[in-house]
Amino acid sequence: MTEEREEFPLDVLFVGAGPANLAGAIHLKRLADEKGLEIEIGLIEKGDQIGSHSLSGAILDPIALKELFPDYLERGCPVEETQCRDRFYYLTQNRKFEVPFTPKYMHNEECCVISLSRFTRWLGEIAEEMGINIFPGFAGTQVLFSEDNQSILGVATGDKGIDKNGNKKATFEPGVNLTARVTIFGEGSRGSLIRQVDEKMEIFSKAMPQVFETAVKEVIELPETSPFLTGDTTVLHTFGYPLGLDTKGGGFLYRMKDNRISLGLVVGLDYEDPLLEPYRMFLKYKRHPLIADIIQGGKVLQQGAKTLSIGGYYTMPVLSVGGALFVGDSAAMLNSQRLKGIHTAMKSGMLAAETVIEALEKDDFSQATLRAYDQKVMDSWIASERYEARNFSQALSRKGVVKFMHIGAQYFTKGRGLKDPLDIVEDCATLKKLPKDFDASALETEKPEYDGTLYLDKLTGVYLSGTQHLEDQPCHLIVHNTDICETLCYEEYRNPCTRFCPAQVYEMVEETPGERRLVLNPSNCLHCKTCEIKDPYKNITWTCPEGGGGPKYSIV
Amino acid sequence: MEIVVLVKQVPDTESLIQIAGDGVSIKTEDLKWVMNPYDEFAVEEALRIREAQGGTVTILSMGPAKTVETIRTALAMGADKGVHINDPAAEGSDPLATAKILAAALKDIPFDLIIAGMRAVDGDNYQVAPAVAEFLGIPQITQVIKEEISGDTIRCHQVVEGGTAVIEAKLPVLFTAQRGLNEPRYASLPGIMKAKKKPLDVKTLADLGVDAGTAGTANRKVKIKALNPPPARKAITMIQGDDPVAQASELVKKLHEEAKIL
Repeated sequence: MTEEREEFPLDVLFVGAGPANLAGAIHLKRLADEKGLEIEIGLIEKGDQIGSHSLSGAILDPIALKELFPDYLERGCPVEETQCRDRFYYLTQNRKFEVPFTPKYMHNEECCVISLSRFTRWLGEIAEEMGINIFPGFAGTQVLFSEDNQSILGVATGDKGIDKNGNKKATFEPGVNLTARVTIFGEGSRGSLIRQVDEKMEIFSKAMPQVFETAVKEVIELPETSPFLTGDTTVLHTFGYPLGLDTKGGGFLYRMKDNRISLGLVVGLDYEDPLLEPYRMFLKYKRHPLIADIIQGGKVLQQGAKTLSIGGYYTMPVLSVGGALFVGDSAAMLNSQRLKGIHTAMKSGMLAAETVIEALEKDDFSQATLRAYDQKVMDSWIASERYEARNFSQALSRKGVVKFMHIGAQYFTKGRGLKDPLDIVEDCATLKKLPKDFDASALETEKPEYDGTLYLDKLTGVYLSGTQHLEDQPCHLIVHNTDICETLCYEEYRNPCTRFCPAQVYEMVEETPGERRLVLNPSNCLHCKTCEIKDPYKNITWTCPEGGGGPKYSIV
Repeated sequence: MEIVVLVKQVPDTESLIQIAGDGVSIKTEDLKWVMNPYDEFAVEEALRIREAQGGTVTILSMGPAKTVETIRTALAMGADKGVHINDPAAEGSDPLATAKILAAALKDIPFDLIIAGMRAVDGDNYQVAPAVAEFLGIPQITQVIKEEISGDTIRCHQVVEGGTAVIEAKLPVLFTAQRGLNEPRYASLPGIMKAKKKPLDVKTLADLGVDAGTAGTANRKVKIKALNPPPARKAITMIQGDDPVAQASELVKKLHEEAKIL
């Protein structure tokens, strides 16, 4: 970024086209039109189209959607299943035990099943029709700060057409400086720009760190004759096998339209065993009789992976700074107790929009004015429904049955539980070192069986995610010190990156015995950010590759 | 130089392609639509010629309402104006009918040069652009990887089996772009904003004087009987080892005994 870049001024810039920012942009445009304010709104998205990088379960509580569009069904909102009839199971290796009593927060009667990718694509079309400038395929790579670092001026988009060695190709197209009176960051889980904001402005709490889970998900087409398609149950949630009680997380299976189902496993990234492989856990989960019976004869249509920001209420960052607001997963808005975050994300975007309108009317975008957003969040149902869940994820991180003591106590004390706030550790700090005499042969005990249709290896999964990056570009995964990988990390953890990455981006090759070399396949990257979160040495930094690269999700 | 580029919107080949219930079309619901990659070469070459010689680049495309996105992409790359033929009666037209409609539209657009992709990656017919040239009665040069214009003459390098043919013709000419002609530029963010304000005409078959009874699915001369997915690719076997000689003999053995092609 040495040369002069074109400056491109907007009134309001939204970064990331998830449900939070799309709802926010639509709400803002509508409010501005009502008030006769003529404003230029821009929205950038690193995916090649809106929805390409959206992945979720997903059960949607339509509360925020109804506020945005009371007639959302008439408007053609892509709902997969309107009837959420729940079952909740505890699984052991071969058996299932239905949980007879499910707490109120696990009930989904008022909800519907959606594909988040389809849903955001639909919102994107509406936003575009309304006159919002949507720029898919443009990655924000740098936050533009004021000289004193006290406020945010906008975001710089990445250059395009740079080769592997950092040189300009014939197609070089410089990025632009998108400046705005206010910038709204809705990058999703573990954003690469919000990290820059935190470095300068310290918006995240050190005491209550951001914590995450990684989900691997598939959409499977079942045979038309599959009994599940006509059965009474449409929504299944499970816990226990294959994660056991010491690793938080669980599985889900939802019925969709067109003989499809959504199947996924969520793994808490505070797991301790460096040999654990979330993707393998997902395969094991699919082989459990409860799941295997349902998906029998099916075919995987699309696969993907994504992280979720799960820490909840106490891990929310400062929500506003001079010139910027933070929404959705960028601001840890998910409700881990209800396993839902789309409704809170949308609502946070809408509250941000209302704050922006006030700021536009006052023509004041200082933190003093934008701080109204923090209060709006606190006064809304986002805060009230999440406040009761404030210690929930923290309780789930407790080992064995201790978690149930916490959860039970929280249930009867409106979330206060046995300790409030209940502490939590950063995910990168939880791995247990392997013993010095660790026997490497233990790594390859059982080979999963793949059939290429229903049970897939990682690379087939990557293929079905549609992931593509231009090969000739600088590596977007920065491994700061590969010596650590080849020596210390190998000895202490046997390179967990080769396992926690769901897309086989990291490989440790040993061409001659004892001489290891880290090989990266950045083109496989699903943009899930697990590596940056879980690496025990904080040795990996995820940066945005050239805009338009990454998965091409359409139905997950 | 007045240049017209024929552009088609096609499904992204990385999209989830599934055959629809009727067995002769694909499910369109979850597809991503993009500019036919060979047409990107055509647009890029048109822009380069205009940059060297001056003139205008007009994008001509036929398709439903969403086709406008692809035309806008070409405008964002730098083309000057667009013409969009949008008529439900034209939907499902076969290559011949499509070429007739495009040729009719070209009666109203001045041109010295027409450029198109050599094929569309969806239908894969290779027919529309050559048929347009026939209807217009102008020379055509297909599968071009290099062109030079001097005065009123164009000289094109055409890919032929085993080599390259160099072909010359007097303008006006239609040529089709093969991979290797150039590397298309990106649509820049300011380019996308500018594209929103560029002129884009929408035309119906009636505007072009084309009889709807000759177009659309009902009037196809080429009928699709069935669509089948390509056979699943077999797993790749990597021949292990450090010794190339041993690996080569292992390869020959496998080709002989397993693949039975030697």
